[in-house]
Amino acid sequence: MRDILRITIGLTISCLIAALIMGSVFTVTDKAKKHNEHMDIQNTMLGLLGYSKTHPAPAELSLHPVYRYIIDDKGTKFLGYMVPAKKAGKEMYELLLLDLAGTLKQTYDLQITPDTAVEITERETAIRQVIKPPTVFTYADSFIVAMLGKKRLAYLIPGEFPGFKTFVRVMLALDPSFTVKGLDILEQEEDPGLGGEIVRDYFKNQFIGKTYDKLKSLKVVKKPLPEEYRQYLEREKQKKGMFTEEQLENIRKKYRDSDIYALTGATISSQSVTTGIKTMVKKFAYRTRRLDQVIAQQHIPVSF
Amino acid sequence: MVSTKTPSQLVINGLLNENPIFRLALSMCPAVGISTTVMNGLMLGIAVLFVQVCSSCTIALVKDYIHPRIRIPTYTLTIATWVTVIDLVLSAYAPVAYKAMGIFIKLIVAFAIITMRLEVFACKNTVGKSFWDGIGMGLGFMFGMVTLGFIRELLGMGTLLGHDVLGFRPLLFFALPLAGFFCVGFMMAVFNYVELVFNRMKKKAG
Repeated sequence: MRDILRITIGLTISCLIAALIMGSVFTVTDKAKKHNEHMDIQNTMLGLLGYSKTHPAPAELSLHPVYRYIIDDKGTKFLGYMVPAKKAGKEMYELLLLDLAGTLKQTYDLQITPDTAVEITERETAIRQVIKPPTVFTYADSFIVAMLGKKRLAYLIPGEFPGFKTFVRVMLALDPSFTVKGLDILEQEEDPGLGGEIVRDYFKNQFIGKTYDKLKSLKVVKKPLPEEYRQYLEREKQKKGMFTEEQLENIRKKYRDSDIYALTGATISSQSVTTGIKTMVKKFAYRTRRLDQVIAQQHIPVSF
Repeated sequence: MVSTKTPSQLVINGLLNENPIFRLALSMCPAVGISTTVMNGLMLGIAVLFVQVCSSCTIALVKDYIHPRIRIPTYTLTIATWVTVIDLVLSAYAPVAYKAMGIFIKLIVAFAIITMRLEVFACKNTVGKSFWDGIGMGLGFMFGMVTLGFIRELLGMGTLLGHDVLGFRPLLFFALPLAGFFCVGFMMAVFNYVELVFNRMKKKAG
C-alpha cells in the first residue's frame, strides 16, 4: 500500500514539474514564435510577388486579407465574406452574406480593424456580435488581395490538398486574370528525394505562367524534363547572364502551353500537386467572380 | 555498474565500440527513414545530441529521488520535456535553424537510444560522466547518420549536401527506405570486420 502511494505521488510530482517547465517556456516564447510565423508568411507572400531583400516591395503595395465563413441558418447555408472596406477614412471589416446562388442577402458592419482581424478569436467575437445564435458560422478559408496603388496586382491563396502521404500546404499567387504567378510549397511530408522534390524550383516553377484556360486541361506527362527548360526554371539559383533576354523569351513561349513534367519516381506526388492546384484555381476563380459581381453591383467601398 | 572510463574513452565508446546505429542497432526506424541526405542526417544527429546530453544530465542529477518502479515513465517525461523546450526555444529565437531542424526535433521523443542510455548509464553514474556519455552517444549517432546519408545521397541522387556532384542519378533505389537497411547492414559488416582485424592485431602484439 505504501509503495502504491509513493509511486502515485512520485509520478504526480514529476508530471507537475514537467508541466511547469513546459508551461513557463511556452509563455515566455509564445509571442516571439507567433511573430516569427507571421513574418515567415509575410516573406513568402512578398517572395511570390517577386520582391526580396535585394528588390524590396514599393511603399504603395498593400495586402488586404479576405476571410470566408460558412454560415448555417437552421439548415440554409450562406457564404459570409469578411472584406475590408473604407468607412469615413477608417478601414473596417464588413461581412457580406451571400446565398449559394451568389446573390447578396445582407451586409453587416463589423467592429474589427485589419490589424486585429489576423487573430481568429478576434474575428469570431466580432462576427458573434452581428450573427446571433442559433445561426452558426464556421471559418472556411481566406485569401489576400495584393494591391499596387489602386491596381490589383495579384491574389495570394493559401491552401492545402492531399499529396502522396499527407497534406501538402501551399501558397499560390494568381494575377487578376487567374494566371499563375507563383507557387510555394509551405509544408509537405512526401518521400525525401522522390516526392519531396516538389519543393524544388524545377518542379514548382513549371506552374508559373499557366493561364486559367490552360490550367483547366493541364495534365502530367511522364517525360524527362528538357535540359534547357530545367535551366530556365532554376535560373534564380544559377549565375546571372546565363540566358539573354531573347533566349528567356523564347523558352517561355516554347513551354508556355506544355503540360507538367512528372518527377522521376514520384508520379503520384506530381499528379496530386497538379490536381490540387487546378481545383484551387477553379474554385477560387468561380468564387471571386461572384464576389466581384456583388461588390460592383452594390457599390461596396472595399479596399481592393 | 558504475563506469570507470575517462571522458575521452566515453566519447570513443559512443562513436565506435557502442555506436548506436552500427553496434547497438537502436533507433533504426529514424536512421533508415531520415538518412536520405547528408543534411537530413546531420540535422537529426544534432537534435539527438542535444536531447541526449540534456536528458542524461537531468536523470543523473535526480537519479536518487526516482522510485525504481517509475523510472521508465520518468525517462520518457524527461525526454518529452526537453524536446518540447528545445522545440519552443528554437522556434522563437532561431527561426532559421528551426526551419531546417523543426521536424526532426519532434521525432525524437520516441527514440530508443536515448531511453536506453538513461536506463543503462545515466541512472548509475555521476552528472559529469553522463554528460560525456551523452556527447559520445550523440556524436556516434550523428556519425552513423551522416555516413548513411553520404552513401545514400551520393548513390541515390548523385548529389552531396544538395550540390550536384555526379551530374546524374546512379541508383534511385538508394533514396528509398529499403536501401537504408542495406546500407546499415553493410556498415555493420564493416564495423565487425574492423573489430576482427583489430583484435587479431592485438593478439599478435600481445
